[in-house]
Amino acid sequence: MEKNVITSSRTGDSCIHVKHKSGLDIYICEMEGFSSTEALFGTKYGSVNTMFKMRDDKEYTVVPEGIAHFLEHKLFENEDCDVFELYAKTGANGNAYTSFDRTCYLFSCSKNYQESLKILLDFVQKPYFTKASVDKEQGIIGQEIQMTNDNPEWRVFFNMLRCMYHNHPVKIDIAGTIESIAQIDADLLYKCYNTFYNLNNMVLSIAGNIKADEVLAICDECLKECEDKGLETVFPDEPDSIVQSEVYETQPVGTPVFHIGYKCRACNGQERLTKNIALSIASALITDASSDMYQKLLKEEVINSSFGAEVFCGDGYFSVIFAGESNDPKKVRDSVVSQVERMLTEGINEKDFQRIKKSMYGSLIRQLNNVEAVASMMLGAYMAEAGPYDIISTVSEMTSDVVLDHVRRELDKDKLVMSVVEGAENE
Amino acid sequence: MKYNRTELAGNIGFTSVIDEKFKTACLTVRFITKLSEDTAAANLTGTDAITYSNSSFKTFSELNEKLSSLYGASLSSFSGKRGDVQILGISSAWLMNRYAIDGEDIEGEMLSVVRDSIFSPNASNGKFDEESFRITKNELLDRIEAEINNKRGYAISQATKTAFKGEPAEFSSYGTKETAEAVTSEKAYSAYMNLLRTAPIEINYVAPEENPSVLEMFRENFAKIERVPEKVLLKNPSLLKNEVVTESEEFDVRQCKMVLNFKTDCDNIYAVKMLNTIWGETPVSKLFMNVREKLSLCYYCASRVIQSKGTVMVDVGVERKNIEKAKEEILRQLDEIRNGNITDEEFESALRSIDNSLTSIGDTPSSYSVWYFDCFCEGEILTPQEKFEKYSNITKEDIVRAANSLNLDSIYIMYDKEEQA
Repeated sequence: MEKNVITSSRTGDSCIHVKHKSGLDIYICEMEGFSSTEALFGTKYGSVNTMFKMRDDKEYTVVPEGIAHFLEHKLFENEDCDVFELYAKTGANGNAYTSFDRTCYLFSCSKNYQESLKILLDFVQKPYFTKASVDKEQGIIGQEIQMTNDNPEWRVFFNMLRCMYHNHPVKIDIAGTIESIAQIDADLLYKCYNTFYNLNNMVLSIAGNIKADEVLAICDECLKECEDKGLETVFPDEPDSIVQSEVYETQPVGTPVFHIGYKCRACNGQERLTKNIALSIASALITDASSDMYQKLLKEEVINSSFGAEVFCGDGYFSVIFAGESNDPKKVRDSVVSQVERMLTEGINEKDFQRIKKSMYGSLIRQLNNVEAVASMMLGAYMAEAGPYDIISTVSEMTSDVVLDHVRRELDKDKLVMSVVEGAENE
Repeated sequence: MKYNRTELAGNIGFTSVIDEKFKTACLTVRFITKLSEDTAAANLTGTDAITYSNSSFKTFSELNEKLSSLYGASLSSFSGKRGDVQILGISSAWLMNRYAIDGEDIEGEMLSVVRDSIFSPNASNGKFDEESFRITKNELLDRIEAEINNKRGYAISQATKTAFKGEPAEFSSYGTKETAEAVTSEKAYSAYMNLLRTAPIEINYVAPEENPSVLEMFRENFAKIERVPEKVLLKNPSLLKNEVVTESEEFDVRQCKMVLNFKTDCDNIYAVKMLNTIWGETPVSKLFMNVREKLSLCYYCASRVIQSKGTVMVDVGVERKNIEKAKEEILRQLDEIRNGNITDEEFESALRSIDNSLTSIGDTPSSYSVWYFDCFCEGEILTPQEKFEKYSNITKEDIVRAANSLNLDSIYIMYDKEEQA
């Protein structure tokens, strides 16, 4: 196995990439002086992957909503005991999460990382599902779903996605619904496991107080070689248009919360990274506290400091979201649209552009200060089909012309949606 | 790592931690004052206002522009409570100069920004600049209104009010809607000036390199202030109520929340914390393994220690029909510990979990800052290793004694609306 050292030309930070003989991609960052270790073992399998097949399958399999998340919960139980009990023997903090495009199992520890790594690699490769254990989990996940349904920030986000996407499964709740998880059984879990938990579809990212050679020796010992079976995931055709431009929901909240989102064209690899950075800078220019729009809305008490923007993207979806709290979300929306139009007619102020770019660069350097952030950055880069430090170089090389070009092509007011969650008195 | 503590005149502590592995510096200034419903909102608005503008950057826009040009350096305020005291202040972080692309003196410029914000606010005639004040006041009112958005956090906050009724700790560090509305620019400024004069102050500087000018800046500027530090009580255990009090509210929610408050007079805090770890802090705790995993009643059920008030709190998100069942199981698991049913594995894994948390302190600048501030509040400066030795001396018998010292004091329940009819 060849160890490729990847170095950031900007900061001099480096990490190691290995394509393991088992099929697994491994990223290792030794961080001198740090006590803790963070390890993430992830698969490119999230809530959006509801339709798939292998090379030899004739037809696509369609699975219930929320199954990736359900599988994540169940993998924590093996035949003999709960995985948390194994971590308890090493002192590590184990956890896992499922998002739209990935499922990750992780631990953080400050001692015995080798033992904890063995536990991680072992249990993720050893599924054990029974009817009784599946039934039991439905109660726990049912409560998790209810908890998130009471979260206005969660609701306003998913309501926005449902306004934006006709067919793409990004609009479904990551945990599914009480009804959809009732359809899940042990056989379906095994089917999904055997499809997506192939090491050719997975990554190990580990950073902190570690030695690369020790990590690789443990990988050699624990990883089972996998044949690449040609996984294909597909998504239903998604029109460029939106479903509806507005949606409102009533919940116990203080000031109404809003999400305003532009639906953009989806893409992958370096194109996605460039678009992500360009539109992150554009949206930061719009929501920048020094901008005219921000100052005006703040003075008029239309927004508060919760106002901000982010790019949300993955396999088959891409959007730019402006979010915050406001008693007049429509005014915020109109202001964002005007600001985009102004940017297109007047161009981007070069001084402001350089300032925002520096701010973004600073925030990336700060991440390199943190074991957890470094492990997440390497994993995120793999998932986005990019190199670990590509984001730093893409930010450094970004120009205002590229930003403007993306604004012109992507921020179309006909593809703008608004979701609001407000208290009953606001109805 | 190099730790150093300097006492400045007037009850001001300056702690510096130099650890060369970091790429950033972090500076935190904490004011410690009595928590009171009357002053909490004014104190908070005052410390907020100094992060929105100062005498050099007279508008929020100008100050923000400066911070983003310094590679996204941060300057923010915070307010929280620790038992009966309010802890407020400002926190700032910046990249070290060696990462500046254009050779800027980031640290030098940020020290000026922090200095002006603390010692030279944007104020005249005994009040803050109206614009900065108005923004901070609106922010606070929105924050108070938004407390209900986080249902779990709201339930814990309401349970705190029930547990500590009649004590300063019952109040929110934000104040109330009414007290926040009553704050004027004059009152906020006066409150901030009062903090500068009377609050015990703890300053933490964490960076990869020594910079004596940081301490000098504080020494020089505090020397110009006539300090009359107040006495604050950092530990004030809450007394057990004569009978268990239950408070409840009803909301349009899908999941009910229940919080149980237990009071303890146990003087062995390490035993109480070990008890907490075994009972409900980790994913192998008795509450997680039984209330969640075995009975499948909830997604979360966890316990926490409020050291300054001698209280242990358990919270759970649960369906209405399972509230009593969850409560019975929470109490049953406490009884298990009281009866000495702690396995060697549970005991050892609690110690390992604590060891793991303590050993990772120092991996972020903020973890150093929080660690040494906690040590100050607890009245003993220890290294994480020294603290672990104290846990290592705890026996199962100590934990049983701690469990027997817990008494149910009060309960808060957030009911869903639909099913109560």
